[in-house]
Amino acid sequence: MDNENIATNDAASSVSVETGSQWQRLSVIAILYFTFSNIKNLAQGLIYVVPALAVTANVTDNIHSNGTYIGIAVLVLSTTMSGVVSFFMYTFRVHNAHIEIHHGVFSRRFTNLPFWRIQNVKIEHPFYYRPFGYALVVLDTAGSASEEANIVAVPNDYAQALKKQVLAFNAQNTAPQPEESEVDANVPHGSDEVVLNRRSITDLIIHGITNNRVWILLGAAAPFYDDVFSRISGWLASKGLQLNQLVGEQTIAWWQFGLYALVIVMMLMAAIALVSVGGALFTFYGYTLSRQDDRYIRRSGLLNKQEVSMRASRIQMITAKQDWLDKVLKRVNLYFEQNVSTQQHGQELMSPNKLIVPSVTEAEALALAQEVMPNSSYQRHDYLSISKRFILHWGIVGLAVPFALFVTVGIITAHLDIVVMSMSVCLLLLVVIGLRWWRWGIATDQKHIYVRRGRVGVDYLCFEPYKIQALVIKQSIFMKRRKLASIKFVLASGSVTVPFLPEDYVFSLADKVVHNVESTQRSWM
Amino acid sequence: MTVSQAYPVETFSNEQLEAQGLPTLAALALTDISPRYRIVNISLALFITVLLSAVVVVLRLQPFFMLPDPLLSKFPFVLAGIIALGSGWVIYHLLADVRIKYSVREQDLNLQSGLVFQTLACQPILRVQHVEIKRGPLARLAGLASLQVFSAGGALHTFEIPGLPVERAQQLRQFVLDHKALSAK
Repeated sequence: MDNENIATNDAASSVSVETGSQWQRLSVIAILYFTFSNIKNLAQGLIYVVPALAVTANVTDNIHSNGTYIGIAVLVLSTTMSGVVSFFMYTFRVHNAHIEIHHGVFSRRFTNLPFWRIQNVKIEHPFYYRPFGYALVVLDTAGSASEEANIVAVPNDYAQALKKQVLAFNAQNTAPQPEESEVDANVPHGSDEVVLNRRSITDLIIHGITNNRVWILLGAAAPFYDDVFSRISGWLASKGLQLNQLVGEQTIAWWQFGLYALVIVMMLMAAIALVSVGGALFTFYGYTLSRQDDRYIRRSGLLNKQEVSMRASRIQMITAKQDWLDKVLKRVNLYFEQNVSTQQHGQELMSPNKLIVPSVTEAEALALAQEVMPNSSYQRHDYLSISKRFILHWGIVGLAVPFALFVTVGIITAHLDIVVMSMSVCLLLLVVIGLRWWRWGIATDQKHIYVRRGRVGVDYLCFEPYKIQALVIKQSIFMKRRKLASIKFVLASGSVTVPFLPEDYVFSLADKVVHNVESTQRSWM
Repeated sequence: MTVSQAYPVETFSNEQLEAQGLPTLAALALTDISPRYRIVNISLALFITVLLSAVVVVLRLQPFFMLPDPLLSKFPFVLAGIIALGSGWVIYHLLADVRIKYSVREQDLNLQSGLVFQTLACQPILRVQHVEIKRGPLARLAGLASLQVFSAGGALHTFEIPGLPVERAQQLRQFVLDHKALSAK
């Protein structure tokens, strides 16, 4: 972990932030921003329409007609014009410790933000601003991380000066933190930042390989599958492999067919991994995680430099996630989760509710977790395992009926291969259930609750019990007879369940946690 | 105001039942909800089942136009399916609704419910964001209401006590709103 200090911009102090009572236009370069953001909004909307359009084009077979060309031209023209129109409709001023913005094309909006309402100021550098030295200032107001306003294009110096002034204004006027927050005596106060972690290109490549977020791309490419498949089979045929021969006539054994299918799937997965690596590099290039006073800030981005920040007290839970590929490479994805917002379901990478440190080593993850939640250690030996009845339960509920079904079908139709395949699939699923049972465990110490779970890779969750919102104890009638129970902790960032624990352990833990919440009365934010 | 000023140690209590001093969820004194809740649910289930069966029977027996043959042959299965699902629904409400019980302690609300999977949900009043009383049209006729308690745990984890008599629901809502610990934090 490095311990550098990011120097503040001295030139910023000489730039005056007040713009007077006159309404200002943005710099002309804002047109670029508006155009890009309009295109992005259009694309996000179109991504659902494109497959449908492609299918209709296929069916009606007029993709090269004049109609489509005119349609495309109109689309392109309107998006460029929209950028110019948005630029003319946007004026702002910074006056009397207020930031006021008039914006909006069809529905005009007036945003008036007093400095004291601004929680955080983020400065972002999209790639088309960087050669010209401009910045995008994002003003963060509500505690639930919903961005309310942004000043679209101002010079870098002005942006830094504005940020400094707003944060200084708020630091003067807010009450000091209550004594519950543990302030590290070694951290200097003030606007210095301490860098906690950087990710190198190797780490990002590893992250790309282990995290595939390309399913949307696959979905968007759906209209082209026909084309792609016919090209691939043509290529294979030229190499001497006739796919029709394989599938149509029974000239090969089913295990050979399975082998061919496996090879094709692996090739596909390699291709997906490459695209995923590209995506990871794009989003996480130049990643730094730093701490400034009580905030954790993550900055990254290849073309668009973006930042996400989170106050330490808002962190509900630390999750160290590791799937099977991560385990092979001995890496962990660390997430600091704050409260859930109902919007932006798909944008996990840039979500303001989860601070992600991608693909850290296990030692680094533990160190970072101890930095954020002092005196916690999720690598421990005293995890209480869940009961083996978990395997029995899922074996019966999940596997028995389908297994019986397939076996009877196989026996009736006298296809031995169906029986064999269903038995091997069931065996595999039983192994996975067994692994899941093995990993699941819970541990507590004075200040934290730890949950370990996973299948091949191991996930660790760590949270402080006083932050829970509610608690649910669940028992089926069979579990009651065996004196087992499941416990679910509801946090603002989501719920954590541990099933099949001893009943008296569950009730005594629940009593302790509820007593903790109610008697200490600590805020969860 | 610090925590110890708001809740001086001597006056803090939460129905201490055990000699050790910690209140326990295993020994809650639970109250039933109104029996009308079950009646309302069963009536609704019966009504819908009978309605759907009537529609299917009428379609089959009406003299205005002939249904295509595959549909005709499926008719007994469809009717049997509707009746089976309907009776399952009725039996579920018959058995499950009587098991819904709640308990109010000084610092939290508790709800026990469930037929095969019994759940006990505990909602500390400290974490309540807001309280609502929900009354559907049938509930209004029966003089019942449902108390919905929202925390920051998200919409999936809303604590809800159904089938309360209206006055009781309003009483509970007022209790939560007047509670000293209630805050947006």
